[in-house]
Amino acid sequence: MPRARKLVGDPDLPAALREWFAERGWTPFGYQRDVWRAYQAGASGLVHAATGTGKTLAAWLGPLIEEMKENPGATRSRGAPPLRVLWITPLRALAADSAEAIALPLQATGLPWTVETRTGDTAPAVRARQSKRLPTALITTPESLSLLLTRDDSATLFTDLRLVVIDEWHELIGTKRGVQVELALARLRTLQPGVRTWGLSATLGNLEEAAATLMGTSAEKAVLVRGVEPKSVVVDALIPSVVERFPWAGHLTTTMLPQVVDAIEEGTSAIVFTNTRSQTEIWYQAILEARPDWAGSIALHHGSLDRETRTWVEEGLRTGALRCVVATSSLDLGVDFSPVDRVLQVGSPKGVARLLQRAGRSGHRPGAVSRVTCVPTLILELIEVAAARDGIDSGSVESRLPVERPLDVLVQHLVTAALGGGFYPVELLQEVKRTRAYADLRDDEWQWVLDFVTRGGDALQAYPEYSKVVVENGRYFVDDDDVARRHRMAIGTIVDDAQITVQYLGGGRLGSVEEAFIARLTPGDKFIFAGKPLEFVRVRDMKAWVRRAKSSKGAVPRWLGSRLPLSAALAAALRARLEEAEQGIYRGPEMEAVRPILEVQARWSKIPAADEILIESVSSREGHHLFFFPFEGRLVHEGLAALFAYRIARLVPITFSMSSNDWGFELLSPDRAPIELALEEGLLDPTALFEDIPASLNATEMARRQFREIARVAGLVFPGYPRSGKSARQLQASSGLFFDVFRRYDPGNQLVTQAHREVLERQLESSRIGRTLDRLSKSRAIVTHPERTPPFAFPLLVDRTRERVSSESVPERLRKMQLTLERAAG
Amino acid sequence: MSLDLAINLLGQTLVLMPEHALFWMDARTLLVADTHWGKAATFRAAGFAVPGGTTAEGLNRLDHAIDRTGAGRIIFLGDFLHAREGRVPGTMDALAQWRHTRPALDLILVRGNHDKRAGDPGEELGIVCANPPVSDGPFSFAHFPGGRPGTYVMSGHLHPAIRLSGRGLQRARLPCFWVRADHIVLPAFGDFTGKADVKPDAGDRLFAIGGGAVVEIEQKVVRKPRGPLRR
Repeated sequence: MPRARKLVGDPDLPAALREWFAERGWTPFGYQRDVWRAYQAGASGLVHAATGTGKTLAAWLGPLIEEMKENPGATRSRGAPPLRVLWITPLRALAADSAEAIALPLQATGLPWTVETRTGDTAPAVRARQSKRLPTALITTPESLSLLLTRDDSATLFTDLRLVVIDEWHELIGTKRGVQVELALARLRTLQPGVRTWGLSATLGNLEEAAATLMGTSAEKAVLVRGVEPKSVVVDALIPSVVERFPWAGHLTTTMLPQVVDAIEEGTSAIVFTNTRSQTEIWYQAILEARPDWAGSIALHHGSLDRETRTWVEEGLRTGALRCVVATSSLDLGVDFSPVDRVLQVGSPKGVARLLQRAGRSGHRPGAVSRVTCVPTLILELIEVAAARDGIDSGSVESRLPVERPLDVLVQHLVTAALGGGFYPVELLQEVKRTRAYADLRDDEWQWVLDFVTRGGDALQAYPEYSKVVVENGRYFVDDDDVARRHRMAIGTIVDDAQITVQYLGGGRLGSVEEAFIARLTPGDKFIFAGKPLEFVRVRDMKAWVRRAKSSKGAVPRWLGSRLPLSAALAAALRARLEEAEQGIYRGPEMEAVRPILEVQARWSKIPAADEILIESVSSREGHHLFFFPFEGRLVHEGLAALFAYRIARLVPITFSMSSNDWGFELLSPDRAPIELALEEGLLDPTALFEDIPASLNATEMARRQFREIARVAGLVFPGYPRSGKSARQLQASSGLFFDVFRRYDPGNQLVTQAHREVLERQLESSRIGRTLDRLSKSRAIVTHPERTPPFAFPLLVDRTRERVSSESVPERLRKMQLTLERAAG
Repeated sequence: MSLDLAINLLGQTLVLMPEHALFWMDARTLLVADTHWGKAATFRAAGFAVPGGTTAEGLNRLDHAIDRTGAGRIIFLGDFLHAREGRVPGTMDALAQWRHTRPALDLILVRGNHDKRAGDPGEELGIVCANPPVSDGPFSFAHFPGGRPGTYVMSGHLHPAIRLSGRGLQRARLPCFWVRADHIVLPAFGDFTGKADVKPDAGDRLFAIGGGAVVEIEQKVVRKPRGPLRR
């Protein structure tokens, strides 16, 4: 914790805590006192500050001070009071850290309070003890809290509860787990009306909304407390030494390696952040190959690794024993790693807030500056680095919008409530509507969810064999042990896709990897995971068994869902930088470095001006490519690609495959697409958007894919757990199968509707699509016909993850296609 | 344009049908694999909401195939019922009623792995149940794929599908008939069933079902297996 102004004497702080601060050479920050005072006055609120500036103490000392004032003579001999403080953390891995952090000042006070954690990792014996009596302060995750709240005796568990702290609220607010927290808070306020709520958050663009979301619809307003000013942040980049020689699409990994190793060597302890878990594995290997002498003092950290490994790495960072850790966002959160004095970001920063957060990982020494050095993996990413610095300078930090009315979470909540002693709909509805997420829940939606958990929805009324939640005398409850067991097992899986444990034949566990990756392996295949070359042996008992491979050559697991889009704030800054380049202005070392490439782009095609939309039309062996460059971020581009493909396919029978990235998107067709005709017919027209977008969605797999998460949360798919037994095999079906069967036999199903809504609102940010089309329709469309693929288009050309839209009949397509047969993994 | 596709095997005419059925013309016999009747009901009974209608759809499709071919006999190639829990009145009554409209039809079930646990269909369905192999003429009938000396085997079990790709990076995944040297694997008949990608050998023939028609797929280029991302 950084040093603050020295204050002499402190009437608010009890002597024991004053001494504790003094022993460490600390004095409380003004904002921490503000929070303590507000808490004593009975207020709730939100504290926002950079990581490592004492938010934990701001929230935690309030109840301690309160207790010392109320019970000045309390000592350990009197035994621990019942649950007083609930501390909700987004990650299991953080629970132990938080418990440690709050135990320290507690010891100084001599209060007889107990502190424990309760997460999916908690041992059964501890759980059993906690079932009888909870500690005075309990640190838990949203999932574990939900389960706790469903117990018959939950009313008696929380009678002494005074404070709920939601740590890292910025991580939760934009997610369905955030909604789970909202529901839990509503329940706690029902049980204990006076309970106070304090959220802790990093800086967000929508702090007022974040604070209000915590309070739900209650009349009380949250106090917004701003923590200490962020340290000054320096963003720089490693510039490839000879830019002209670099292929603009080629990955720069090996080329940049010497510079990265030099940068690591500059500091005593470094974190190298990457954007995906696979990149983490690749860079760890590469650095180790470059500096074999670092073996043992370099490590990797990502969410798929075994917990023990992660803990070991975190400990090594804290003590300074590790020279370098290669990590993903799994190290974005959590307590300080003070010795870290060098942070590198490999690949695009993707967002302003994200880069700030990562920069904040360094420079925790007093007076230090936070510095982050970006390492481009594609040369054009240097422009995004320059844009991110512009964003930080102008304070354009992104917002995270709360999720509205997710019915899958409500389905899960109703089953949870039915399990925990049952519920009466009128009462539960009142409580649910006190959250911000469901404040506008419609009666028909509520009725549908009730029907869904009792009868399976309207289409099922004639099916008496369906049972999940049963109704008796108006009370809704679960009376089937299997249903109860499966629900409890599934409830923690909101975050995880089907994961398979990777384990040595000898017994050691390495971590877990997505099932889809393992499914593509054949016994004998080599792959790299947890920094180790492995040979795949077999899958049994939901585990992938491996042995150590001799060669380090192998595939790196490709994790799904890790492609973070460029934020709106960063996209705007990027466009501003390109507009300058179009006028020949190149500011700063990054722009100077990419200048030769932008000049190639200008020569072969064009750098679009502010009022132009660039469309490049290129032919290749693969077919005919149309590249569009709105520079709005991948999500918006995915939506526009589907929309444009749909609109062109209405003019002529044609089949497209699409790819999108943060700069633009590509429509690829076997035959030439009539782009000029399409532009005349209103390709860029912002009207009829609300008819055309849903129609274009139906033509793609997007909604079907979004349904995976919904099916999991709503408890439709059953992943089959290790202890679930043989009969479970007959209950396995993929979410895609569910989606197809719903769409065909129960088109009114609200979960299918939700999948479409989520794709529109969250995945494609349809409001941004509307705004983008407004901008594009006022722009001049410039169609160029380059002979070779220009720099902007190249990354799109090589991207193989694609959506498809077709207006041809299937047999026709099959006959026309020059078919090549792809072998499945084998 | 015919939606079916006829092939000749051992001097016999076999019609591959988009209804996910195979018609052995010379014996006026319809072959159907992996119906998994009652699968949706099994899910519902366990508390998973699957909408109704899959059984009715399947029976309609079966009627369609019978009417179009004039078949006098159906051989079910195993996995007739999905699970014991799926033997609920709704589903079993629908099957019995269907049987009532087709009293003259000969029905034979060659048992598969699901049938062992789910049990044989009830007597009211009038289905002759037998363990494999069951033979007739040049063919024998089984649930599990694989060759058998001196005969050509018709089987199911796999729920075969193929992944196709073409110019313009087009892709499709479709259920298929997989014709091999000594046996054929039929696509799963049931609607609420999954699919598994096949691994064909060079001499195999593949017939995909797409857009209501059966289309033969040429095996032109067999690429290296699509493994995980190579560096």
